[in-house]
Amino acid sequence: MRRYALCLLASWALAAPPIVIRNANVLTVTKGRFQGSILVRDGKIVEAGPKVTIPPDAQVIEAGGQYVMPGIVDPHSHIATESVNEGSVSVSSMVSIEDVLDPEDIAIYRALAGGVTTIAVMHGSANAVGGQCTVIKLRWGRDARGLLFEGAPPILKFAMGENPKRRGSLPSLLPGVTVQPRYPATRMGVEDVMRQAFLEARAYREEWRRYEEKRQRGEPAIPPRRDLRLEPLVEVLEGRRLAHVHCYRADEILAVLRLSQEFNFRIPALIHVLEGYKVAREIAAAGAGASTFTDWWAYKVEAYDAIPYNAALMVRKGVLVSLNSDSAELMRHMNQEAAKTIKYGGLSEDEALALITINPARQLGVDKRVGSIEPGKDADLVFFDRHPLSNYAKVLRVMIEGQIYFDRDRDMSRRAELEARKKALLERAREREKKQAPARRRPA
Amino acid sequence: MRELFVCLVCVASLAAADNTFLLRGATIHPVSGPEIRDGMLLVKDGVIAEVGTKVAVPRGVRVIEARGLHVYPGLIDSGTHLGLAEISSVRETVDTTEIGDFNPQLRAIIAVHPASEHIPVTRANGITTAVTLPSGGIISGQGALIHLDGWTWEQMQVQAPVCMVLQFPVIQTRQERPGARGPRPFSEAKRDYERRLQQLREFFEQARRYQKAKLAGSPEFRTDARMEAMLPVLEGKLPVLVHAVRERAIREAIAFAESQKIRLVLAEAREAWKVADLLKQKNIPVILGPTLELPLEEDDPYDKAYTLPAELHRAGVKFAFASFSTSFARNLPYQAAMAVAFGLPYEEALKALTLYPAQIWGVSDKLGSIEKGKWADLIVTDGDPLETRTQIKRVFIQGREVDLSNKHLRLYEIYSRRP
Amino acid sequence: MRRISRWAIMWIAAVLCVRAAPPSVFAIRGARVVTVSGPVIEKGTVVIRDGLIADVGASVPIPADAWVIEAEGLTVYPGLIDALSSLGMPEAAAQTAGTVRATSRSQQPAPAPAPTPPQTPEAKPAQGPEDRPSNTSWLRAADLITPGDSRLETARSAGFTAAVTFPQRGIFAGQGAVIALGGERAGEMVIAAPAGLYLTLTTAGFTSFPGSLMGVLAYIRQVYLDAEHYRLAKELYARHPASVPRPAYDRALEGVLEAPRVLLPASRAVEIDRMLRFAAELKLNAVLYGGHEAHRVAALLKKSGVPVLVSLRWPERSRDADPEQVESLRVLEFREMAPSTPAALAKEGVRFAFYADGLWSQRELVRAVRRALEAGLSQADAVRAFTLSAAEIYGVADRLGSIEKGKIANLIVTDGELFQEKTRVKYVFIDGRKYEPLPEAPPEEGGRAEPSEEVVQ
Repeated sequence: MRRYALCLLASWALAAPPIVIRNANVLTVTKGRFQGSILVRDGKIVEAGPKVTIPPDAQVIEAGGQYVMPGIVDPHSHIATESVNEGSVSVSSMVSIEDVLDPEDIAIYRALAGGVTTIAVMHGSANAVGGQCTVIKLRWGRDARGLLFEGAPPILKFAMGENPKRRGSLPSLLPGVTVQPRYPATRMGVEDVMRQAFLEARAYREEWRRYEEKRQRGEPAIPPRRDLRLEPLVEVLEGRRLAHVHCYRADEILAVLRLSQEFNFRIPALIHVLEGYKVAREIAAAGAGASTFTDWWAYKVEAYDAIPYNAALMVRKGVLVSLNSDSAELMRHMNQEAAKTIKYGGLSEDEALALITINPARQLGVDKRVGSIEPGKDADLVFFDRHPLSNYAKVLRVMIEGQIYFDRDRDMSRRAELEARKKALLERAREREKKQAPARRRPA
Repeated sequence: MRELFVCLVCVASLAAADNTFLLRGATIHPVSGPEIRDGMLLVKDGVIAEVGTKVAVPRGVRVIEARGLHVYPGLIDSGTHLGLAEISSVRETVDTTEIGDFNPQLRAIIAVHPASEHIPVTRANGITTAVTLPSGGIISGQGALIHLDGWTWEQMQVQAPVCMVLQFPVIQTRQERPGARGPRPFSEAKRDYERRLQQLREFFEQARRYQKAKLAGSPEFRTDARMEAMLPVLEGKLPVLVHAVRERAIREAIAFAESQKIRLVLAEAREAWKVADLLKQKNIPVILGPTLELPLEEDDPYDKAYTLPAELHRAGVKFAFASFSTSFARNLPYQAAMAVAFGLPYEEALKALTLYPAQIWGVSDKLGSIEKGKWADLIVTDGDPLETRTQIKRVFIQGREVDLSNKHLRLYEIYSRRP
Repeated sequence: MRRISRWAIMWIAAVLCVRAAPPSVFAIRGARVVTVSGPVIEKGTVVIRDGLIADVGASVPIPADAWVIEAEGLTVYPGLIDALSSLGMPEAAAQTAGTVRATSRSQQPAPAPAPTPPQTPEAKPAQGPEDRPSNTSWLRAADLITPGDSRLETARSAGFTAAVTFPQRGIFAGQGAVIALGGERAGEMVIAAPAGLYLTLTTAGFTSFPGSLMGVLAYIRQVYLDAEHYRLAKELYARHPASVPRPAYDRALEGVLEAPRVLLPASRAVEIDRMLRFAAELKLNAVLYGGHEAHRVAALLKKSGVPVLVSLRWPERSRDADPEQVESLRVLEFREMAPSTPAALAKEGVRFAFYADGLWSQRELVRAVRRALEAGLSQADAVRAFTLSAAEIYGVADRLGSIEKGKIANLIVTDGELFQEKTRVKYVFIDGRKYEPLPEAPPEEGGRAEPSEEVVQ
């Protein structure tokens, strides 16, 4: 699959003529819908409308009867990474997902096949203050560097509720293994850990300021030891790094909003936030965003009051709401998830589609580039064979910056070849094993 | 019972009972036959009395206008833990898995919690009947078919037991020991598996000996609850729902069932496509788990799980859909929808949610389609129930209209009103 | 006097021989000499004196005091160097590379070989980088050499005369040393030290820092920042002892600062890419080890200038894997293509050396090398990867790795071309001392170590 993607890439890159997607039902999300065409040049949407001038050298994709929408943005995922949690300590802000990206994770391709083009790869929720997270585009076939969403603001993960306090109580998760409890064991402690971390970050910033002053004065001074744990927290305080906070219950949502106000930073995304509907007003007033599931509930106590109307209720109260998957499986059909917010809560089609496109893009700070079909934005487009809010819709192809990264027809036509290649390799491997068999003794 | 109470209070006229009514004007989808536009459906005492375009309406019968709407049979989820688990991470609320490997005597039905929040939530999306299952061990216990409505589990009970649940032994190479690195050696895992298989065979043999002793009427005979529970299985009266995911386990489950002469229904069977011909040949039905699943192997086509139902249909294998869940049971119709998107004919999908499970579980005389004489388990919708945007307007179980209110709706209403 | 047994006489004679000074001048005459640094000498002579190569050439005068070895029909090679080893450190053998390493996802090609983590129960789990978990960077292999390591004989019999041996436990495992695989006292065996700092990416489990791969990387990054800070602090203190606080002595950081180069594990292409960027970011003088998917990123490696140590333990299916389980295409390709890595690196001009990764027996070594040869590696490149390239990577090419006048007399004399199944090593010279290899031992009964392996779930 990798090789096929590279071949496709190569063929597109070499030519690089403009592309016209012709005669589709275009769902722009922000500017309504029309039947017409999209002109793409150098990876950007140049024109989109019922009548689009087709340059003579354009490569035309006939999309009659198809639905084209912006590539889906999933602001919370754990694919494409070799590590998810650094659960040993309560504050693990020194670790970074970017260090351990895995561009060969098949989950990337499978998500593409579901129409996702941009995701935020997140640290897990084992810690009150988690690690640094990264926004990537699902450019299947590129190396780790090639996945990075250039210019996307960096993110720091925080977590509240049951997960970050689980290791505070004994017996531990692992039967038969004695483990020291890790502070905190309560929601009170979780908030405390966060506050302490921010206070330390402030002190650290102060330390550096004093060192700079000394240097200005020409005095000999050893610079403070650089602390990779505190630097991302300083960046959050200074608005240079986005805070994403995993939270469930209304009280902890409020607690973290107040904390953010105390330390003067905004929270662009409260994640999961399953009881967000109970404090939607406060969330909106704090200028925070919310990214939630549609209908997950009752898997934990803090998820027992989760309702599928959560997204709609928060939208109605003026919160910037998105949907996220937190799952390699769910991310493959976020269009179906969006439809649930119409059923539960009566959002309109465009409102529902916004939850998986422009809204998460805004929460990730990449809305200038992705999230809707507008001239000037990246040509990240998904082609469906029916309206994406129908459960019967299938993804036909996915384009990122003008290049096709997934094509269902090609995927299906390549299957036999891949099977054959695998069979051949397997035979060779078994042959080799047989030849070595006399020297290999089976354990008694 | 609710209906008895109503009858006592009402004027003693059968026509005024709340499980007697006429539904008029909707498009009726019987499933067992073509759809009926502008149809009429007469329900008497909870049973479908007439269905058609022109139905004689007895005097005084309550009429429910349903113009522009659609009527389907209530949907059936053939594998859940409804009533047996509330919050999966809280042990006190979970009653699916008992200690011990051989517990055929355990009856899920008596542990069904009628006030579980999952029940109203699930039926609000059109699922009226579900098979609820114990799990764990090798023989987990007896599953039950329940209506998603009732003051007590007795009232909910449709058929209990409906199956014996068996988790077929597998060669487990995945490391269970915490902190251990790498998979278990295959030889070790195989030994464990063989041991468990042997235990299973011995247990069945033990049950046969009990059966023989009982028939012989020997004076030393003592009733044993565990052995008693096995008798209907040995007699072929109670089907065995065998959980087997991979080809190897499926084949061995089939071989085992043949050797033991028991009625086999497969559960999950994600690699059923590899043995489809065998399943067809031996008429073994399959209860499929969620369609919306990741492929089992890295190299499997991305849509492998999506296309499985269509593949089985083409091979002539009978199957029904199951969520194998509590919290996600309400999404069962959308699992079916995905199968349709990827090749399963729509009519088959609908049947796999209604008629086929009724047949597999031996209740097709009462359930599974809108036909005269069957129970009035019905859903009234504003569209295709497999599409998310469709609203379920009314649900009837045995002709009684069921309250669609549930915890989620209540919380929605409360917090909508929060200033 | 009773008949004195023949054995007693021989024993006495042997003792007398041992007491006498062994010959220190040898001349290997009439052999084919593969110098590696220059053209092959079809019929030449190598003269050894006082542990060094005194002379080598087609016609070279043979000193009168030389012990002459008639080597017509034989070939002389530089002794093989095991470029990443635990030879000489029997303790480190307990955690030798080649044990199964679990990864967080199934069906992955073999990640970089790493020892199992120390199972010592820690009094308190590490709370962060400042606790310096798994850090013994001050440990020096040179301090830990044991001439009595029983594996040395096996290795010599296969043609190894030197090894670069490292402590292998933990993340910052310690400093390696280039050692000769023979000598009476430990100190005599050390050729050059420190040779480099050996790093692994071992996690400590879920409860102690670092518990994840990203934790390990963040930790390493922090340690290097701390080391730089430490250096700066020491300098400033030296210059202004009165106005600057005295930095606390930190042996872990001393170890880090003293290392001339750093060894980083990387087998998969993704890992190689990751380690190259990591090394560039931290400005490390890096050497990668493992290298099995380097063939996919040879151009990247060339550009970076980072050398690679390629493990000869080619990835194979575990003997005890589920026979019905079919591995993924990725895993199959990884295994199929791994032996082609040396040829790919040679073609691209990337400097690389081999390490035996525990495969020190003649039979296993030859089998492993032959796979690389069959996949396109030239004989000359194979020999070089075991000799001069290894010496170059460790900065000891001025004294080791080829047959040149003035270099250490580490040589092997074979009865045929190296890495042919029938070829036997007849003589081994280490520091100019002659060893005769043992006859080939029969294959061990089931006790052979597992191939380096991916997790197949």
